[in-house]
Amino acid sequence: MSALFDEKQLRCLEALLDTLIPPDDFPSAWEAGVGDYLLRQLQGDLADLQTSYGDFLRCLDAEAQHLHKRDFADLAVEARGDLLHRIEKHQLAASWTIEPGKFFQQIVEHCGEGYYSDPGNGGNREQIAWQMVGFEVRG
Amino acid sequence: MSDYDAIVVGSGAGGGVAAAVLAEAGKSVLLLERGRALSFEQVGRDHLRNQRLAIYGHNAGPDIEGNPRTLDPASFPIPVGEQQGAHRVLRPHEPGYQNNAACVGSGTRVYAGQAWRYMPQDFRMASEYGVPKGSSLADWPIRYEDLLPYYERVEWEIGVCGDHRSMTHLPAYDKPYPMPALPLPQKSSVHRRGLDALGWQSLRVPRLINSLPYNDRPACIHCQHCVGYACPVDAKNGSHNTTIPRALKSGNCTLRTEVMVERLMCSAGGAVAGVKIITADGLRERISADVVVLSCGAVETARLLLNSATAQEPGGIGNANDQVGRHLQGHYYPGAVGIFPEQMYDGVGPGCSLATCEFNHGNVGLIGGGMLTDEDIVTPITFWKRDYPPDVPRWGLAAKQFMRDNFRRINDIKGPVQEIPNPDARVQVNPAVRDRYGIPVAHLSGTSHPETVRSAAFMRERAIEWLRASGAVKVWGRKPQQYLSGGQHQAGTCRMGDDPAHSVVDRFCRVHSQSNLFVADGSPHVTNGGFNPVETIMALAWRTADTIVAKW
Ligand SMILES: Cc1cc2nc3c(=O)[nH]c(=O)nc-3n(C[C@H](O)[C@H](O)[C@H](O)COP(=O)(O)OP(=O)(O)OC[C@H]3O[C@@H](n4cnc5c(N)ncnc54)[C@H](O)[C@@H]3O)c2cc1C
Ligand code: SF4
Repeated sequence: MSALFDEKQLRCLEALLDTLIPPDDFPSAWEAGVGDYLLRQLQGDLADLQTSYGDFLRCLDAEAQHLHKRDFADLAVEARGDLLHRIEKHQLAASWTIEPGKFFQQIVEHCGEGYYSDPGNGGNREQIAWQMVGFEVRG
Repeated sequence: MSDYDAIVVGSGAGGGVAAAVLAEAGKSVLLLERGRALSFEQVGRDHLRNQRLAIYGHNAGPDIEGNPRTLDPASFPIPVGEQQGAHRVLRPHEPGYQNNAACVGSGTRVYAGQAWRYMPQDFRMASEYGVPKGSSLADWPIRYEDLLPYYERVEWEIGVCGDHRSMTHLPAYDKPYPMPALPLPQKSSVHRRGLDALGWQSLRVPRLINSLPYNDRPACIHCQHCVGYACPVDAKNGSHNTTIPRALKSGNCTLRTEVMVERLMCSAGGAVAGVKIITADGLRERISADVVVLSCGAVETARLLLNSATAQEPGGIGNANDQVGRHLQGHYYPGAVGIFPEQMYDGVGPGCSLATCEFNHGNVGLIGGGMLTDEDIVTPITFWKRDYPPDVPRWGLAAKQFMRDNFRRINDIKGPVQEIPNPDARVQVNPAVRDRYGIPVAHLSGTSHPETVRSAAFMRERAIEWLRASGAVKVWGRKPQQYLSGGQHQAGTCRMGDDPAHSVVDRFCRVHSQSNLFVADGSPHVTNGGFNPVETIMALAWRTADTIVAKW
């Protein structure tokens, strides 16, 4: 699926994005195509962030292992959320090769871009996010 | 014998008008544009790359590679672009670059088409208020009455819809608008209640949009992509579908696109001989003309004059008194966002319909003020990026459900503030950094005058007051900071005046030192009103072109 990340990183990315925009009556980030958005952008406008993304995902798994002895993707939703909140507050257990707080903020932005922008960008499949918020394109 | 009677450089708001008036008067005109002619499909509907939300690029030019500008880091509160030596180097879609657009029609290809006349007081700001310290505030050499016939021509010939009876902040109109105002969407009806409760003036925003079929093109179909995008039915009136087709139809105008004017050619004795251009293939040509009109927009017109230095004028044409490029201004656009108990969104575009000019003048302790209006439809990602409340989580189920529950209940009020010019807010050229053609780029420095920031803070408070009166249960919005302004409303860099010591062009927009060189864009504006500028740019260009023809 992706030349950028190995399977473990992809699993982590999916879990990460789905913690940022989880499923409810409407699809999660991953289900709506935010992964496609991001993988495309990482070959385009965000190409200079490829390594940082890889590092972040690796460190995120390391952090989860440190705290819970599991990969990030294997944690319950609440535990994933708690862990991300700790990262925002810079409460880190593992040693990080990247300054995680700031980079996490960027990931949050990218996730929203994929979810809420036009489907032409790869996310917001079948305008599902627009249906959710009530933005209808007529004309 | 010259190649053309006249060359017009730039096909935006001012250039389109100048080309049409000159060509229809029988002059042979060459209209030169560095950008391309863009189809509806080429402009597209990319929500991340448009002239409204330009996160990764934009949709109306200039190309993001090969067209840099440099900026003094002190001019902007956050680090933008890339540091190179003492300067930041910016690409066109990055904040601080002061972009409008570059394509046939320029900003008018994708604008909102708010069509404002300035108020009589806006032409005599120094007389009304005095000149604050550190400012170059001055009166225009012309009055509202001088522009009035041309405002009417823009309204009737380019096509503006509105309700002249609601424009109670202006002298009574002799001629109504040719088309009625657009229908009020749901949210504007709510906002009208707020204005009525406050007892503030409530007017219908005049727009360069066909509310009825007009000029052989259809009426607006109320789509959701007006500002920042092209019109799907061609009901939005810009240079690309009004003045430029008129110029071409006369049979006297040639439009050349993807042509960059590198410099002006001068003949002896205070006259220009024509221009030197570079084509997309890198070929250089010299083209001669009896008259040259610069309509490149406030930043690029100044750049071109400064890049055209001669032995007689070593600092750049028209720049003997170090005035070219100074007084750069635009509009601070303060406002606030509110959340309402009821649905505000009904999807009826364009959206911006109601305004008040209650605070453009007469504010105790302030110099001028500004207009406030409700806004065009905001896309979900623009809302998420720009209008999202700072105290709501940005991720997790709460964030998603906030978007779901509130996108349709949120609305903003904002508007342009009359800026108080600062002579040190300026455009220079930077020979150390070149564009794709090898031409020295524009260098931007200086910042806004503190009085501008004060007016903006005041107008933000008025926006909050209006939102609350309309029933908003919660309001938010950033406080204005000091930074260099210009952007899509850029103006002021070739100031109009009778005294060459303090201005670049005369009251007919002729460059003081040249008998046949004129400026027809936002550059001559002495001050920029508390209104979106395009109708004034078009009207002034019309007056300038009319004057050229009358004396020729
Ligand atoms: C999204 C958006 C919304 C807007 N909404 C409104 C609105 O509602 N109301 C309003 O009043 N205004 C609005 N504006 C602003 C309006 O478009 C500008 O005020 C207006 O276009 C400026 O006119 P101008 O003649 O000064 O320059 P421009 O229209 O910018 O024209 C300059 C042209 O010159 C070309 N050029 C520059 N240098 C050279 C060169 N050396 N050689 C060849 N060509 C050159 C450029 O490529 C450009 O096409 C909006 C703008 C945008 C982008
Ligand atoms: S709102 Fe009307 S004028 Fe504006 S782009 Fe849509 S159809 Fe055209």
